[in-house]
Amino acid sequence: MAGEKYPINIWVNEERYEKLQKAGLASMCEEVLAGLKVIKVYADEGQKDEILKKYPTAKFDSATTKSIELLPRKVKDQIFDLVVQKQSVDVMDEFLKNY
Amino acid sequence: MGEIGHGGIEIVERIMDPKEAKEKIKGLPQVPIRSQIANEVIGIAYGFFSPLQGFMGKADVDGVCKNMRLANGVLWSIPIVFDMSNDEIQQYGVKAGAKVVLTYTDNPMALFEVEEVFEYDKEEMCQAVYGTKDPKHPGCARTYAYKDKFVGGKITLVNRPKINPPFEPYFIPPLQMRQIFKEKGWKRVVAHQTRNVPHTGHEWLMKGAWLQAYGELPIDKPYVGVLVNAIIGEKRKGDYIDEAIILTQDELRKSGYFGDHNHLTSLTFWDMRYAGPKEAVFHAILRTNLGLTHHMFGRDHAGVGTYYGPYDAHILLESVKNDLAITPVYSMNWLYCPHCGEVTSEGLCNHKKEWQKFSGTLIRSIVDDGVKPPRLIFRPEVFDLVMECAEKYGFGSPFVTDEYLQKRTPVFVIPPLQ
Repeated sequence: MAGEKYPINIWVNEERYEKLQKAGLASMCEEVLAGLKVIKVYADEGQKDEILKKYPTAKFDSATTKSIELLPRKVKDQIFDLVVQKQSVDVMDEFLKNY
Repeated sequence: MGEIGHGGIEIVERIMDPKEAKEKIKGLPQVPIRSQIANEVIGIAYGFFSPLQGFMGKADVDGVCKNMRLANGVLWSIPIVFDMSNDEIQQYGVKAGAKVVLTYTDNPMALFEVEEVFEYDKEEMCQAVYGTKDPKHPGCARTYAYKDKFVGGKITLVNRPKINPPFEPYFIPPLQMRQIFKEKGWKRVVAHQTRNVPHTGHEWLMKGAWLQAYGELPIDKPYVGVLVNAIIGEKRKGDYIDEAIILTQDELRKSGYFGDHNHLTSLTFWDMRYAGPKEAVFHAILRTNLGLTHHMFGRDHAGVGTYYGPYDAHILLESVKNDLAITPVYSMNWLYCPHCGEVTSEGLCNHKKEWQKFSGTLIRSIVDDGVKPPRLIFRPEVFDLVMECAEKYGFGSPFVTDEYLQKRTPVFVIPPLQ
């Protein structure tokens, strides 16, 4: 479907939450699944394909959640840091250009 | 009358007395086998694959590929074949009428009485079983990797496998399993096929299936059980480690989410083919032999990628239900509804816009990020055990890594023949 966006779920552990709080960005978190904090960074169709090609361990959960999962923790940390730096979840273009 | 298995045929264990075995195999050529074949030798010898008595001959393979039936007319969906290269056939003198000893972990495992050596078109086999010839399909890839020829003939175990901890209590072959069901007083038992660590979506799939199977039975005492039957076989990097799968499944019972009265965990050795509908039929056969009366089938059972429709397995099972002595229980997905504040079935809850779906993959991603999922989604006892397994068995990871594949203790070995 044209314009469809696929989330990368960055689950907010204590370390990430601390960084968000320091940056005054704690409100960026959504709460899902009975109390889990998450930041959803969205990829479009092309970005999704690029991510899956670049990181072979990653998986697109096509059956249930329609999200991009199992990116290496290090990669998610990089995306997360970019979110904090840019104060925005619209970071995939820049991430794919620079990492 | 003994125990009746799939196809209405009595289950007979093909296991030789060790004393007799030593004499019978003396001087025979010894053929080393890989883990897939060793798993299937166990499947045949203990009756998991009843009525098979050995590796299939051409008539059986042909029947399975063309009509989904063995040569004797019994329903069967996946070829169970023994492959050899031309060089190996020559080296070990394999021909109709010959006998060889199959060895695994350097010790004698089974007597193989060769009945025929034959060729079969692998593309044809793929198309028939997997519905595709695509070499990217893992089942096709396995088929294309088979060597030059196939060897059919009867198998008799000459040496029982030694199941290593922590798996030993979970290896329960069909005749023993049926005895356990009788002792528990279960009139109906529903199978839960798994290769996963359970989240609460899985837990509720089992609980839902238990309720579905219970039906009109009296409630003066528990008459229905859930059998978790974990498939243990070839691992892929990134899968949960086997130890975590089997122990966490059992943890649901130990921690009281189920109990001895309604839950049992076991394993079957089998390398998944990801054959979707055909594998669903195979699972139904396997669990019939284990003595189960019902079998859960969810969305895209045993499928991979986009090769099969989500309910193709259900359609195929319906078409052969008269040939199966097990009742399929079709399961809807379970999900979290924040409005209800609970895990619920998509067939029950109508807060569709608020639904939060979760999967094994999503839970893995949460764990990977160093976050402990809430107890409504993932039981704390299961999470703690996953972490314990990572340290104890997984070289620091609950998921399969290169190090795990190289250094893990094998699930079973064949000991020296006493």
